[in-house]
Amino acid sequence: MIKLRDKTYKIILLIALLVFALLPYFTSGFWTRLVTSIFLYAILAQGLNIIAGFTGYAAFGNMIFFGLGGYTVGILMVKAGIPFFPSLVAAGVVGIIAAISVGMPLLRLKGHYFALASLGAAEGLRQIMDNLTGLCGGAMGLTLPQMAGKPAQVNLSFYYLIFILLLVFFAATYLISKNRVGYALKAIKANEEAADAMGINTTLYKIVAWAISGIFTAVAGGIYAYWFTFIEPATVFDVMIVVKLFVILLLGGVGTVMGPLYGAFIFEGISEIVWSRFLNLHMGILGIIVILIVFFIPNGLIDMVRRGFRVRAILDTIREEKV
Amino acid sequence: MIGESILRGMNVSKYFGALKALEDIHFEVYRGEILGIIGPNGAGKTTLLSVINGTLPITHGRIFFKEREITGLRPFRVAELGISRTFQIVKPFPGMTTLENAAIGALFGKTPEKKMSRAMEKAREMIGRVALKGKENVLVEKLNVSERKRLELARALTQDPEILLLDEVMAGLTPREIEDIMAVIQEVNRRGTTIMVIEHVMKAIMGISKRIIVLHHGQKIAEGTPDQITENRQVIAAYLGERYSRRLEEMSHAGN
Amino acid sequence: MILQAVLNGILFGGVYVCIGIGFSLVWGVMNIINLAHGSFIMLGAYITYTLFTYLKIDPFLTLPVSMIALYLIGYASQKYLLNYIIRASIFITLTFTFGLQILIANLALLLWTADFKSVSPAYSGEGIVLGGLVLPYIRCAIFIVALILTYLFYLLMARTKTGKAINATALNLEGAKTVGVDVAEIYARTMGISAALGGAAGALISPIMTINPFIGGSLVGKAFVVAILGGLGGTMGSFAGGMALGLAEQVGSFFFSSAYQEAIGFIVLVIVLIFRPQGIVGKRFY
Repeated sequence: MIKLRDKTYKIILLIALLVFALLPYFTSGFWTRLVTSIFLYAILAQGLNIIAGFTGYAAFGNMIFFGLGGYTVGILMVKAGIPFFPSLVAAGVVGIIAAISVGMPLLRLKGHYFALASLGAAEGLRQIMDNLTGLCGGAMGLTLPQMAGKPAQVNLSFYYLIFILLLVFFAATYLISKNRVGYALKAIKANEEAADAMGINTTLYKIVAWAISGIFTAVAGGIYAYWFTFIEPATVFDVMIVVKLFVILLLGGVGTVMGPLYGAFIFEGISEIVWSRFLNLHMGILGIIVILIVFFIPNGLIDMVRRGFRVRAILDTIREEKV
Repeated sequence: MIGESILRGMNVSKYFGALKALEDIHFEVYRGEILGIIGPNGAGKTTLLSVINGTLPITHGRIFFKEREITGLRPFRVAELGISRTFQIVKPFPGMTTLENAAIGALFGKTPEKKMSRAMEKAREMIGRVALKGKENVLVEKLNVSERKRLELARALTQDPEILLLDEVMAGLTPREIEDIMAVIQEVNRRGTTIMVIEHVMKAIMGISKRIIVLHHGQKIAEGTPDQITENRQVIAAYLGERYSRRLEEMSHAGN
Repeated sequence: MILQAVLNGILFGGVYVCIGIGFSLVWGVMNIINLAHGSFIMLGAYITYTLFTYLKIDPFLTLPVSMIALYLIGYASQKYLLNYIIRASIFITLTFTFGLQILIANLALLLWTADFKSVSPAYSGEGIVLGGLVLPYIRCAIFIVALILTYLFYLLMARTKTGKAINATALNLEGAKTVGVDVAEIYARTMGISAALGGAAGALISPIMTINPFIGGSLVGKAFVVAILGGLGGTMGSFAGGMALGLAEQVGSFFFSSAYQEAIGFIVLVIVLIFRPQGIVGKRFY
């Protein structure tokens, strides 16, 4: 059975870090773009992880920040001529403000109510954006200016931009998980009433969690907008994004720091295989995969690896969850 | 050393629709004492604690902690002011170890530790005091009832509360464990913590409490020392029924 | 004019009651938000379409077929799949039912293609006009059938042994187990009933809505609103919720542009969730 000891683990991570730092220099543009995309999903998944995995609030509408981030960058660049980086910072700020605004009314809801109310908020916003043709093209979408430079250069820039943000956000998540804030969030997820009685200001911490989630997600959205140079409400406010994020979290391990990254890689791997072979059925396959994952490895593949793929462990989990 | 009044409740009432869980309760708790709360099931004992610490919103009435009104404050505020509690049906934090559970108490509350290491130290100390040493790295889901109850107590203790609200900590414990917990509670009290304790285990609560309040159907029907309470006719009636208490009275009169 | 809007609201309301009643049932009894409910409705509609197009049978007559087929699908899903993960977190159950929904949508795609289908019986466009108000035959028939189904559902829950067992299980799972209720079986039947009602809803909407494999999403959205507005407890709740939604939409689009209809709907929903989460009727359980 594979048991990853701390030191071995750290060495592997270091090697991986080096490999990814130098990736664009020894692979083709295709792989660079692929890994960039994986990193983007990882950031989004980490954002969701903070509010859903750590704090236990399954924000099914989390793409609301993705869309807001994308549109902030889009509108500022197109309508106000503001360069990319300041716009990106603005997107982060918008993410925080949005999270606080939506969080105040919604975070007092529990469980399913919260999940679907957040979805409702996202859907409502999508519809509003669909209609704001004057400001941002409405349902027809918004086209952003292209980054100057040759395609290879542009690819490189986006790769490193996202890679650095990945490192920053993941490091932040690691720090959070190890300190008071992280424990407060985990306590809220474990038993909110007890957490409250122990002196944890649950409302404050929930909003902080969602604000952090908001920044990660909105910044990712802003980068996405500039990278693809085109956004429309139907894609950036699409609930399927969040569904994929949930699957990624389930694959990599909910509430863990590295889970989102592992999950993103695994998911992308599966997607590639599925897309290339079963184009027609890809949705159905995704559905089946979701079902299988939820059934057999709800704690993530990494947890499975750590436990050594024992069938016993799987069956135990199922027995615990059975009616 | 019993001191001045530290907690006071006036006209405390809690209604659930038409159900009067608590009706016009007046109570006073003195610094340094152990105040016992007893009463038949459904009397409103847990409701009283929940209203004090804010878990349940009060319907009428006011509560003062050291002359500062705490009526209607959120539980975390009450904890920050210095009142910690345990729950009758234990509420551990699943998915975390015993140590982490206790440490959370230390990280928040009246004197929150900012450094994880200090919090862990405090947690270890309290875990030792409730005789859970050795179980620090066990996931709480794997603890048995008695261990969970003791963890609940340890977690509250790490907060260094001025007032500790204990809700049936001893339910489900063996006689030996009850004695141990009684000792812990008395030790905590000796170190300066005021304690309000709800219990059904009569021997225990009569043994450690200086004063006792008796609740029945949401009302306070008696208050006094353990001896006074055991003689109180209304209390006997509440527990054993009218007929029995009348018979006891007749018997004691006949004896005179 | 507004009276017509109110009338339409009532007639639409009947449909919404059907769409929401099964969804509320599963949510209330098993605390599962079945995102696949929309696909159940969609399948019901496709079954009706198939029987209408190939065997020329009237949609109202094939309703029972949709119901039976969906009962079996729902029952099997619960018994062999959902029962095994029912105590897991919301993460898991929501994601699972979402997975199920896209799986079913994909199967529908394979069987019936993505082309928009419709069911148009001979009496489609006709209706009666009473005092200036238009009463289309189909919508009236849908409304009446919806009422009948709601009443039958009420009888099922209140009078039959299964219904009582479902109630008991919903109110107190452990208690029901203790008195010998086969909870797994009851859950399976509950999902079966829920799916059957969904199938009926599908059959009912087939003459008035174009069908494609992806309508499940918006349908479950409507079901969710019905459940929230009406509260999870009771037939009356779902009835109130469905009617409220129907009226709100029809009267609402009278005053506001229909472009913002959904946005307004969701804002109302969020407001209800915050201030009266127990819904209009607000009774917990049947």
